[in-house]
Amino acid sequence: MQKTLVIQRYNPEQDHKPHPQHFTVPCDDSTSVLDALLYIQQQLDPTLAFRWSCRMAICGSCGVMVNGIPKLGCKTFLRDYKDDITVEALAHFATEKDLISDMSVFLTHLQAVKPYLINHDTRPQPHQQTPKQLAKYAKFSNCINCGLCYSACPQFGLNPAFLGPAALTLAQRYNLDSRDQGKAQRMPQLNGKNGVWGCTFVGFCSDVCPKQLDPAAAVNQGKVASAADFVIGIFKP
Amino acid sequence: MSEPRQVNRAYQSQLRRNWWLKHGYYQRYMLREATVLPLLFFCGCLLTGLYSLQHSEQSWLNWLAFMATPWVIGLNLLTFFASLFHAKTFFELFPRVLPILPAPLMIAGQWLGTLSVALLLALLLGGVL
Ligand code: SF4
Ligand code: FES
Repeated sequence: MQKTLVIQRYNPEQDHKPHPQHFTVPCDDSTSVLDALLYIQQQLDPTLAFRWSCRMAICGSCGVMVNGIPKLGCKTFLRDYKDDITVEALAHFATEKDLISDMSVFLTHLQAVKPYLINHDTRPQPHQQTPKQLAKYAKFSNCINCGLCYSACPQFGLNPAFLGPAALTLAQRYNLDSRDQGKAQRMPQLNGKNGVWGCTFVGFCSDVCPKQLDPAAAVNQGKVASAADFVIGIFKP
Repeated sequence: MSEPRQVNRAYQSQLRRNWWLKHGYYQRYMLREATVLPLLFFCGCLLTGLYSLQHSEQSWLNWLAFMATPWVIGLNLLTFFASLFHAKTFFELFPRVLPILPAPLMIAGQWLGTLSVALLLALLLGGVL
């Protein structure tokens, strides 16, 4: 079996904007988009640039747009597409070369919410947690930082300063953790106009998330937390 | 001599105004947001009704006649179904934001609440109670 991939090429040293290039690749039922890209790079055109590492949907580096939808290349199979398949660099990010996006704004947003345990008790001892306490945030801790949700989010596309689904989910993940005491430090970020209130619950981020984190739910839970934070702020002396 | 060529220019595409036409998903989202438009019309109707009620008997009768014209009935029917659609999407999103009980239970509860309020209003305004 053979299939045609239409790949958006962009060479920063020559091009002003991306242009499509057709490649025909052999495939069977187990061929992923990433396999097809590797075939092209190894057999047809060694200049094709793209990122990948684990090939098993865990490193989060192979995100591309497949027929306009953000997908992990290694978790998307050619067998699921009837006609030609277009592959582009992730939407809403700057394209550095071919399928490689500049993810720095995403990383800055992740950092902004202090995505780590903040606990004033620094004694070297275990901080115990019950399964029930774990269940509160467990789902939100599965993020692989692939950035697909940012390519699905029109609010991020319109305003790159919006912290976006994954960062706000990560904030919620730590705020819900019983071992964490950093919520007060994170709330100013969440309360701002580039925080949770920048979200209008389009919800596409939850659809494209390869780890089913439901980032849209996390962000909107953040709105409840932000509103509570505001009300508490009024009554606090 | 030509300018030195600038390398490492990342290409940044811009979202166009019609971004929401690109996907069925975005179109459904816009449809949900657009349900507010017929609702605005209905609110306008209600306000004019209140105004004409306190203005004069004739203006009240005029308003009643206006509300009975086919296109107004049509628009308000549209408002009704648009609001039901919005309620459906809202009720389904709500359990994800405040996950207190299993989602199907919360969705059913919200519909039950809507139905009871509607029934109560119908009874009150229908003059039964
Ligand atoms: S929330 Fe999901 S889609 Fe977004 S970066 Fe994490 S794993 Fe990827
Ligand atoms: S290569 Fe690691 S997630 Fe696809």
